[in-house]
Amino acid sequence: MTTQSQDTRAPGAQQMAVYVYGIMPADIEVESGGTGVGDPPGEIRVVRHGDLAALVSDVDLSRPLGRPDDLYAHEELLDSSAAEVPVLPLRFGAVVTSDDAVAEELLGPHHDEFADALRQLEGHAEYVVRGRYVEDTILQEVLAENPPAAQLAEQIQGKDQDATRELRMQLGEFINNAIVAKREQDTRAVGVAVKDVVAASVVREATHELDAVYAAFLVETDRAPELEQALEGLARDWSDRVELRLIGPVAAYDFVGTTAPAAGG
Amino acid sequence: MTIAAQPGGGNSARPQPSGLADVIDTILDKGLVIDAYVRVSLVGIEVLTIDARVVIASVDTYLRFAEAVNRLDISQEKQGLPGLVGGLEENGAKRKTKGMLDAAGDKLREFTAESSGEERPARRSR
Repeated sequence: MTTQSQDTRAPGAQQMAVYVYGIMPADIEVESGGTGVGDPPGEIRVVRHGDLAALVSDVDLSRPLGRPDDLYAHEELLDSSAAEVPVLPLRFGAVVTSDDAVAEELLGPHHDEFADALRQLEGHAEYVVRGRYVEDTILQEVLAENPPAAQLAEQIQGKDQDATRELRMQLGEFINNAIVAKREQDTRAVGVAVKDVVAASVVREATHELDAVYAAFLVETDRAPELEQALEGLARDWSDRVELRLIGPVAAYDFVGTTAPAAGG
Repeated sequence: MTIAAQPGGGNSARPQPSGLADVIDTILDKGLVIDAYVRVSLVGIEVLTIDARVVIASVDTYLRFAEAVNRLDISQEKQGLPGLVGGLEENGAKRKTKGMLDAAGDKLREFTAESSGEERPARRSR
């Protein structure tokens, strides 16, 4: 068991620490020259311990992290890796004091747990399905399906805003509830469409009022074309109603956790 | 396997690259949390983020939906909403007053917009 460790202190007064991106099997090779978070971006290195490797880079503690470039750097490094090898992605912002801390406090004590999770992720990647309702279409759908809402709309049409505030609130609440119900229904429809292709699924919390579906799927990378195919049928059916996007392959962010490090297939 | 960009928009189930909003949803919210594993050597660093997940107060959402309904092309609704036709003329006169609310709505949407590449750092409490 070897611990590859370097002194990460940069010369000068900067206070340097080690940013950790994710954990992979030890037998990976990292191309030299890749860069990560920070300004200037730190060079990507590997800290190995036993069967595990952590992707890290040096980071200057005196500068805040979180510029869009930092976020992209974190995600792109892990996502490009996830297409090739199993990766346990860390949440953005994980910084520890040194390479030794990575090896001895993160990888060492949790070696078997992480190694087991990586074995489960082998050959899989995450795909995120995101659908957004086309506003006019969905509003007309709601009104057509709910005569009381249509009547409310009729009462409000062309009236003074202040005078109809209560009615507007009622109508808006009605529509919002209707969309929440449609989201549940359409999310289920996506789940049904892909169920034979995916190993695990997680419904993400909607982050936009017009979200139609927001879900993450763990899929065998070999079967990604089948996933696309399954979704293309829905995308066609919903062409004027929902803008459907498939994002991936990405690292399995939704299928790692502190209590259950990997999704059971 | 690579992330294939889909040119030309349109509805597609082909994999697409992540926008900034997707990235934020993902890497600030998901993934292993190192605090659970490492306590001793964890270093605090100031993390600035663009929090695209603005939680819109229900009231605003409701009013925005109502406004959106008001803007719907009435002709498309005629079948479902015969009663609306009568209100059509009146509607023209009221357009001006609605301008401000429209603008506010647009601004809100801009802020929550998908993949708005704009830098709006906000301190995120952790």
